[in-house]
Amino acid sequence: MMKRPFLRAMPPYLPVLVILICMFALNGLAEPNSLSAYALKGLVSTYLALMFLAVGQTLVIFAADIDLSVGAILGLVNVTLVSLMQALGDTAGAIMLSMLLAVGVGAACGALNGVLVVILRLQAIVATFATSVLFLGLALFVMPVAGTPAPRLFWRTFGGRIAGIPFAYFVLAALLLMIFLLARSRFVQRLLTVGDDQLAAFQTGLPVNSIRVRGYIMCGVFAALAGLCITGDTASGDPNVGGLITLNSVAATVLGGAALSGGVGTLFGSVLGALVIGSVGSLVFFLGTPSEWQNLVQGLTVLAALMVGILFSGKARA
Amino acid sequence: MPHLKMTDMNKTYGATKALTSCRIELFPGELHVIMGANGSGKSTLCKILAGSVKPDSGTITLDGRKVDISDPKAARNLGVSIFYQELSLSRNRTVAENILAKDLPTRAGFVDVKAVMAQAAQAFAPFKEVAGDGFDLSARVGDLRPDQRQLVEIAKAFAGDADIFIFDEPTSALDRAQTEAFFKELDRRKAEGAAIVFISHRMEEVFEIGDRVTVIRDGESVSSASLADTTRDRIVAEMVGGESNTGVFADPPQAPAPGKVRLALQDLSSRRLRDVSLTLHAGEILGLGGLHGQGQSDLLRALFGLEPTTGDVLLDGTPIALHSPRRAIRGGFGYISGDRQTEGAITGRSIFENVVPIHLFKSRQHILRRKTLQADVDRVLQILATRHGGTGLPISSLSGGNQQKVIISRWLMDDTEVLLLDDPTKGIDLKTKLELFELIRSLADKGMAILLYTSEDAELLANSDRILVFNNGRIVRELAGADRTRLMLTRAAFEAA
Repeated sequence: MMKRPFLRAMPPYLPVLVILICMFALNGLAEPNSLSAYALKGLVSTYLALMFLAVGQTLVIFAADIDLSVGAILGLVNVTLVSLMQALGDTAGAIMLSMLLAVGVGAACGALNGVLVVILRLQAIVATFATSVLFLGLALFVMPVAGTPAPRLFWRTFGGRIAGIPFAYFVLAALLLMIFLLARSRFVQRLLTVGDDQLAAFQTGLPVNSIRVRGYIMCGVFAALAGLCITGDTASGDPNVGGLITLNSVAATVLGGAALSGGVGTLFGSVLGALVIGSVGSLVFFLGTPSEWQNLVQGLTVLAALMVGILFSGKARA
Repeated sequence: MPHLKMTDMNKTYGATKALTSCRIELFPGELHVIMGANGSGKSTLCKILAGSVKPDSGTITLDGRKVDISDPKAARNLGVSIFYQELSLSRNRTVAENILAKDLPTRAGFVDVKAVMAQAAQAFAPFKEVAGDGFDLSARVGDLRPDQRQLVEIAKAFAGDADIFIFDEPTSALDRAQTEAFFKELDRRKAEGAAIVFISHRMEEVFEIGDRVTVIRDGESVSSASLADTTRDRIVAEMVGGESNTGVFADPPQAPAPGKVRLALQDLSSRRLRDVSLTLHAGEILGLGGLHGQGQSDLLRALFGLEPTTGDVLLDGTPIALHSPRRAIRGGFGYISGDRQTEGAITGRSIFENVVPIHLFKSRQHILRRKTLQADVDRVLQILATRHGGTGLPISSLSGGNQQKVIISRWLMDDTEVLLLDDPTKGIDLKTKLELFELIRSLADKGMAILLYTSEDAELLANSDRILVFNNGRIVRELAGADRTRLMLTRAAFEAA
């Protein structure tokens, strides 16, 4: 029963890739300079955080879970990192140690989410929403007022170049390498199997709970890596830096072809999805949309992109 | 010495006893058949051995050593592998990934794609020739045909290094060649010393490949014997037990003088139905029997417009196209499911609101005039003797049985000609069950034509004027008059393959 062999052979991230190319083309039409090397570097370094966040979100969505606290984790990691670097000094060694500890904070946040959702069986949407408020509270405790600067060495490195290549591109390459390896790991295959049919996975003998908890922990780690990126980009600590980014990470994941019902999707697609959301933002900017219309246009464009994705894959995904 | 021994296994689900002091012994190199009627506990026993159901009590010993099977992983580590009747496949993963899902071959934590393909090909080799068109190790399981999916589940059960295999109805979707290939593989495993548990309702294949048989009745193991020393009739008799009709349900009703033909089906086919033809008279309760899931529910759902069909449906001699529930309701059909929570009750709303929707739909009323309707609502609830504390209370304040009465009353606000009952008494206590069946009979006496499927044979026998026995989507036998006994029903369900 070979149904539509062409579509079956197509990589799952093809629709979002096409959408992304269209968005770049529209950007180019609106403002040719938006495709300059300088503008592209700006786009990448601004949206690196969202790309990391989308990858983390995708891991939990693979297992049919969701994490609405990724933005808050990112904020908590941001203020923790800046505070640590301030306390430990601005030598390279102190900065490395601070970064390591900050990633540990993200992993701990993810572990808490995993325990609440998987072991205590709270509803994922509500439980992670509640922890997002908790993490925000912690962030405000760590740094009550926004604006503490990050050490010069840290943001200079992130915004700088190595051998003439912007540092952000090295981070992007590292992210791509990570998802290349993750996609081939047994861990991600198991997340997908669990998300596809949890009962079947249990009956197959997979440790379903431990797989789901590890998904949340990895999501926390990726949210922390996103926090490192955003700290490099903004060069300061701000407990509220998370803002709207959580739902953008969900939108990026769905744009990238993943199903919220689990078991379907690719990490690469989610990275492209994050870039689509970024390019929507820049398109709105380059079109010279009056500020009061920007949100409206941005929302409509994301909706349109979602619809194109559905038309492509031939079915609506819940 | 037996390789594996399960003794004194007990398991209850709520008020139902699934297993009572059940025992079974497995020897290496044997194919051990478990036979039992509907709901006798065969699948529960298998799931306990596979670790996906926890027993309330009981002892399992492996080579004389007591073992604890706490979850499917523990079962796997003890060398137990199971084929699930309802399949345990991931639809969005490939065939190869599914076959090896228990243990994807890896190198340093990364899936070894080459090894996956090679090992899956090896595991599937016995079935390669019979898999049919469109089958490929890298195909998505969700894109396969039902028989191909069943082959994947079989290959998955065989993959790995188990020496106890459980097959719960493994051949239901397979064609003859596929079944042969499967039996050949079973023989090979037996020769290697594996112990195989086999559940099937096809009596011929049981005698074709089985070595020993254990019969289970009402959760108790009643006999174990070599298949060479027993006969089909004896097995059927043991499955049914001594009494002809056990429990509170009485003997079959006296068939009333048939009224005029209300519903006639000619060669109705669907995804699960094959050429179903029947006539249903006014005032008749026609029972749909056989083993679970042989097409009985599918027929009822198809008649209510929930599944696409081919073939002719004549209502009072006039053809009717049943392409949606709206059309079926307007045509005079009513459907009541045993899954009240998902397919019946409008949960969280009042009793009143749960009685009126069909009436509002049929009378094309869009504005609800409570005062004029209240009298009618009270009238139908009174017919059903529904105990409630006021029609304004939420339906969830009622017991399951009374909820079901409210749902039946929906169909009594206006004339309903054909009532489709899909296991209507599921999860309802015995006393209310008897009341419900009394009521169903009184509806028939008033001229309603009723199609009844129930998962309990005793209920079916006690309430049906005729019984059509289903097997694999076909009607294989009609039981009427004195033929409506447990023995005849069980024999028909098991033998007429």
